Amino acid sequence: MAVAEKKLSRKLEEIHERIRAEIPWEPLGPTPMPDMPDLRSWDMRLLKTYKPFYAPFCDLCCLCTYGKCDLTGGKRGACGIDIATQQARIVLLACLMGCSAHAAHGAHILEHLIEKHGADKKIDLGGSIEIEAPHIRTVLGLKPETLGDLQIAIDYVFKEVSHLLDSCHTGQEGAALDYESKALHAGMLDHVGMEAADIAQIVGFGYPTSVADTPLVDMGWGAIDKSKPTILVSGHNPATSTELIDYLREHNLEDKVEVAGVCCTALETTRYSDKAKIVGPLSRQLFFMRAGIADVIMTDEQCIRTDTPQEATKVGAAVVACLDKAMYGLEDATDMDPDEIVRRMVDDGEHFAILDSSKAAEVAVKVAMELAPKRRKEWVTEEEAMELAEKCNNCGMCEQVCPNLCRIGAGITELAKGNFEPMRVLFNECIGCGKCEEECPRHVPIFRLMQVAAGNETWKARAGRGPIMDTEIRTVGAPITLGTIPGVVAIVGCSNFPDIEDVADMVDEFAKRKYIVVLSGCSAMVAGMKKDADGKTVYEKYPPDFEGGGVVNVGSCVANSHITGAAIKIANIFAALPLRGNYEVMADYVLNRVGAVGVAWGAMSQKAASIATGCNRLGIPVVLGPHSSKYRRLYLSRKEEDDWRVMDARKKEIVDTGEPSPEHLAYVCETKEKAMPMIAKLCIRKNDTPQGRAIKLNHYISLHKKYIGGGLPEDLHLFVRRDADIPLVYKKEVRAHLQEIGWQPKEPVGLPTYIGTYPSKVSVDAVIH
Amino acid sequence: MSAVLPRHRVNVLTGTKSARLIEDPAEYADLIKKAKRPLLVVGPLLLESTADGKLLLEYALDLAKAGGIPVCATAQTRGKIVELGVQPDCLYDAVEIVNALKDPDWQGVKKEGNHDLVMFCGIRSDLGNQGLSTLKHFARHLKTMTLCKHYFPHATYSLPNFKKDSEWYEFLESLIANLKKGD
Repeated sequence: MAVAEKKLSRKLEEIHERIRAEIPWEPLGPTPMPDMPDLRSWDMRLLKTYKPFYAPFCDLCCLCTYGKCDLTGGKRGACGIDIATQQARIVLLACLMGCSAHAAHGAHILEHLIEKHGADKKIDLGGSIEIEAPHIRTVLGLKPETLGDLQIAIDYVFKEVSHLLDSCHTGQEGAALDYESKALHAGMLDHVGMEAADIAQIVGFGYPTSVADTPLVDMGWGAIDKSKPTILVSGHNPATSTELIDYLREHNLEDKVEVAGVCCTALETTRYSDKAKIVGPLSRQLFFMRAGIADVIMTDEQCIRTDTPQEATKVGAAVVACLDKAMYGLEDATDMDPDEIVRRMVDDGEHFAILDSSKAAEVAVKVAMELAPKRRKEWVTEEEAMELAEKCNNCGMCEQVCPNLCRIGAGITELAKGNFEPMRVLFNECIGCGKCEEECPRHVPIFRLMQVAAGNETWKARAGRGPIMDTEIRTVGAPITLGTIPGVVAIVGCSNFPDIEDVADMVDEFAKRKYIVVLSGCSAMVAGMKKDADGKTVYEKYPPDFEGGGVVNVGSCVANSHITGAAIKIANIFAALPLRGNYEVMADYVLNRVGAVGVAWGAMSQKAASIATGCNRLGIPVVLGPHSSKYRRLYLSRKEEDDWRVMDARKKEIVDTGEPSPEHLAYVCETKEKAMPMIAKLCIRKNDTPQGRAIKLNHYISLHKKYIGGGLPEDLHLFVRRDADIPLVYKKEVRAHLQEIGWQPKEPVGLPTYIGTYPSKVSVDAVIH
Repeated sequence: MSAVLPRHRVNVLTGTKSARLIEDPAEYADLIKKAKRPLLVVGPLLLESTADGKLLLEYALDLAKAGGIPVCATAQTRGKIVELGVQPDCLYDAVEIVNALKDPDWQGVKKEGNHDLVMFCGIRSDLGNQGLSTLKHFARHLKTMTLCKHYFPHATYSLPNFKKDSEWYEFLESLIANLKKGD
């Protein structure tokens, strides 16, 4: 026992030293730099209500040489694992991949920027942001002041990731719930890693900060001047694209060479230069590469196609692989003479890996300028497309492999007849994987056919603005927690959408209802890819402020941390709850009092899995699109049967509210129509005032009537506490319904909290502000 | 024709415990008739119409009526069902009804005990197949059946991949007729 205490003490001492615990900027909470089990009780409390729901994607476990093991029919594998635990293990692995991608991105950026500016470079996010790193402050207990301090956060994440990955080894963890707790831990770490990465980028690259009204940038292939040499930057890590912009500026070439980005590097590059163009989300990557507009493709990391060199070769473009995560088997030319590399790329059509970003930038520009005049960049004409489409015999093979279940054959058949409209519909649904062309026995160039549907329309997206300002939090903190701003809807993630226009529709629907709409990543681009009757995108239609009715683009994937960070800031700035090493109190506050919901409508990647799981541990529910059932795991409640007891912190009494708010933590919706009212419902919190609840129910009912139909929502009675909660416009109808089903009023809870309902080091008094 | 498995199948076992494919409407009808507490879950793909203008949802409602089967409406199907003058017996989204069904103690739509046969129709195939996987693994107290025009491997019973929609409609019409026949 004495030995255990000594070990614990030494460990804590080390933590205190790393986070400079002696500096009293806030009292230190119970869990600075938490290890895997430190927040396990909180996780188990969440999982008691929001139970894991597994949809196995595979019946087997194929991870070790005992297998393959068939886990159907209740059978266990050779190591003893069952199907539920195997699903949880795979989910943890996915979260670890996602978390590692962001943290390693952060580590690379930090190394790059510390090399440039030194580890003592101060973190300054402008006059409107004092709480610069809500996640790092909350999770680590560290107030980072320099780039070097951010490295402490990344090192902590790396250490925890190793322990978590260890637990996935054959023959260890044997309970699905414990794997879930570990996945929640990985998700939390992910937000720390993302935050460190984006703060470093803002500080090191001089990205916008403490400003809402960032520039509107051009988006779409139509915005690219094809007569100019064009460089496509693809991926997420801006170390290379910023060097590229610098090189063009230094050589007065910024107006002579087009820089276009796809996926998150596009967002990063437009935070650095408003002359850069956004091609679009990940789903347009293959389409754009095959269009042949780019003379040079510079890849960095995450969500870049693994066949980029092969695709580039097909259209005579050149590839520079700029990061060690994806070197494609190419020759490493980092130490080679740049002119020699250029010669071989231009004359011999070779591609290279160049891990020195300034050299990569120089080579890319020189190659693009030499290659561009030699290349043909013509869009296929309607006549050519019709001719190509005639090769199709509508065998249906393309449809069988389409992950988005598109009716491709029918679209091609119609195109051959001169009817282009079905192909336009298809282009909106296409997620850009290319499986259809791969499968086609007649080699119909389906992506080329899509050029006639794609048009040359251009759109606007607002450049990413980074963290939500503290000043904004002070303004909206009260209305969000009281419910008079009906919710914060964060539409984030990848572009595996059922229909690309769904996102703009969701943004418009909730912004006009005065929710705060926040965007990031591919979803932030796609939101701008639809115009209203006046020709305006949602970025031109709504203000860029973090306020009711605002539409805010925070930036790329790693900027997601600013969205969850804003929720923590509400607890810390508005409610004045200390955050330092105080994760449970922050998460409990967000779950019970901040009406925020994430929407990852096109989630595809492992990164999306870890981001969402990190949201869940922090108490933010996430709505997912139908494809996301393939993630294998949701967190669902059963509203009329689960445990909805909370502690009323003011009365120190446990109250059975019977109110399923929020109803789920991770939920898949079949359709956009179902998602609309579900998003509104998941913004309901027990803390809502009667006025706030009436506003939220007004939107819930109205969206249900608009998109589902058939009368009032069937579970409305569960969310009406007293007559004052009923929205005025539906008063008569709702009263009649409640009377018919025998509804009884109940008292709202003064200060709802989970603290005190499960074993925890945190006392109930800690949540009273 | 089923594949021949080698003696040591541990090294080749790759796939799912697959659905039994049934192409005979009478056989399908018999399975439904044998069920004590069947349930029909209808999804938003049924809001599309045939070339003749018949709403696919009407097939499902006819089938429910013929077999005396309660209907669970998912997503936005509720509105259209009500428009057609029918009240669905319950409203759950796809993942919610699967979540309830996997609990053997759930009392079902009629509060008479969990269902022993659940039919799905009109849910997109990726989501539908994942939900059926949940039930295959975690709800061994019930059997599942699909009525869509594609094969769903995670179901207990599934229709084949119909090459033509008309073949699927014919199957559904024949199934309804068989259900109307009674025992």
